Amino acid sequence: MQTPATSIQQKPAWRRTLDTNGVFLLWTAFLLIFPFLVGAISGTSPTGRRGESVFQQGVMIEYLTYAMLAMSYNLIFGFTGVISFGHALFFGAGGYILGGAARALGGETGVIVGVVLAIVASTGLGLLIGIVSLRLKGVYYAMFTLAVAEMFYIFFRRNPETGSEDGFGLGSSLPELLGQRIVLFYLTVILFILMFLFIRRLMFSPTGAVLLGIRENENRAKTVGYNTLRYKLFAITLAGVLATITGMLYALLNRKVGPEMFFVNFTVNPLLHTIVGGIGTFIGPILGAVGLSWLERTIRSTVLTVGESQINIGQWWAIILGVIFVAVVLIFPYGVVGTWNRAAPHIRKWISRFLPGRNAESG
Amino acid sequence: MTPLLEGRQLRKVFGGLIAVSDVSIAVQPGTIHSIIGPNGAGKTTLMNLISGIYKPTGGSVWYKGQEITHMPLYRRAHIGIGRSFQITNIFPNLTVIENVRLAAQALSSIPWQFWRRADSHKDFINQALSHIALVGLSDSILKPASMLPHGGKRKLELAILLAASPELLLLDEPTAGVASEQVGEIIHTIDTIRAQGDKTVIIVEHNMSLVMGVSDRITVMHSGTVLAEGAPTEIAQNKEVQSAYLGELYSDVMQPKTGEGKHDH
Repeated sequence: MQTPATSIQQKPAWRRTLDTNGVFLLWTAFLLIFPFLVGAISGTSPTGRRGESVFQQGVMIEYLTYAMLAMSYNLIFGFTGVISFGHALFFGAGGYILGGAARALGGETGVIVGVVLAIVASTGLGLLIGIVSLRLKGVYYAMFTLAVAEMFYIFFRRNPETGSEDGFGLGSSLPELLGQRIVLFYLTVILFILMFLFIRRLMFSPTGAVLLGIRENENRAKTVGYNTLRYKLFAITLAGVLATITGMLYALLNRKVGPEMFFVNFTVNPLLHTIVGGIGTFIGPILGAVGLSWLERTIRSTVLTVGESQINIGQWWAIILGVIFVAVVLIFPYGVVGTWNRAAPHIRKWISRFLPGRNAESG
Repeated sequence: MTPLLEGRQLRKVFGGLIAVSDVSIAVQPGTIHSIIGPNGAGKTTLMNLISGIYKPTGGSVWYKGQEITHMPLYRRAHIGIGRSFQITNIFPNLTVIENVRLAAQALSSIPWQFWRRADSHKDFINQALSHIALVGLSDSILKPASMLPHGGKRKLELAILLAASPELLLLDEPTAGVASEQVGEIIHTIDTIRAQGDKTVIIVEHNMSLVMGVSDRITVMHSGTVLAEGAPTEIAQNKEVQSAYLGELYSDVMQPKTGEGKHDH
């Protein structure tokens, strides 16, 4: 009898690693040479404070933070089946705690204390919200988390200590090292890859299997003996910590924090990115986040010239996004990656008919 | 002998409806105990009270002499109570093997491992495979559970239940909606469980030939109360049961397969 474990053991180990991770390694290599690649193409230096390469690194950092936010959201939404509308809470908390510590203490000490404090605080926050509210089901849980996040948004918008609507800048309080774009770029790439690997590892582990079981059928998971509340608590706290890390990177990139980090946009965007890319897939959230963010940036800066008049289609971005979202949901009900995963075996079978010497169809 | 499971004066009220009214039931270890009765008699409600899905309005549930009335659902699996459902209750987008492996992993110490690969624990895979073989699903281990035909899902439900190796199995209509030619396979599975001898089973079932064939004891429910309780032969000859529930319709299938008990009369 063939088990899933025995069926893949026919090839040598290095070959299996390459088969399953080849694409991943290729993308890693692309990210690692990205600053120099852009630098070479545009003839600008990848280091320093300005120039095309440095600018594009900033764009890439932004895309990667959005991707990380979507990945962390997918952990609860796509893999555990819990819908939260309060993800921005953790994103904002990361930014403000790091910013606050940097402003109060300054330099390296400020950043280190800020990072530790943010992770500890978001763990506490995740546990607290979970313990108070996880017994609520579905929409009620979503509404509760939305209310908590909005509360923080309104508080920080009104709080003069933290600069009210404007927030506050970090520029002068950050260490010199983090002022270099390329340092922040590689920090982001490393954290991005670690987060990707960590989530993948988690989802193939016994604990990940339980999370999937909860998504599939929580009551069944309970009756076979899992304390599902505890697993959901684990998932939302972990996703919260990952979102906090992302929020800190975002604050370091912009060199400021503001109340908009708590705004519902930073919950809805990862939600849309995950749905468009593919709920409950590893690559889907990344593809959705990078794809849609790239599209937004491109469309916002596009001005169409029709005859005499110029149309700034950037103004229509929200409508365009809406159309894309509806189209994707209709055409790719499982998101781009999810639909591809379902269709790929059929497509391969269909293609193999036309390839000589391959008898995938016979037998 | 102390019963393995005991319900004392169990009562469940939904709004104004008394679904179960002061029902007491004692299930002896190693026996197969069936609960029968017409639709709306309160059989599934009683099952939900015993398994902990519902909290009783009154009364208590005892397992091995320990009160478990307020024990949470997941804890009951850990003390040896497993349950299957009338409405198929599986993990639809996971493969058949993963459905069963997940249940096998539940009572072990590994669920909180999040660094090792789940499929590196070969013992759970092997356990799952043997349970899948027992219910006859070996051909479809890598299929998503949602792709199985209805009968297959019912079998998978049994395999999930068995994977947690419970001492007490609560089966809620294991043959509900199963095509008649496949009912035999499910009866065969229950017979196999019975032959192993170390399990106690409570079955809610409509299929009379199944009930008469496998049960050691039968409780007949009617309008939320117990109408009669006894060995299959006694139940078959009980006039009250016949008139209240079974009527003429079942008179030919009511003959128990075993001859025991006939000498009493």
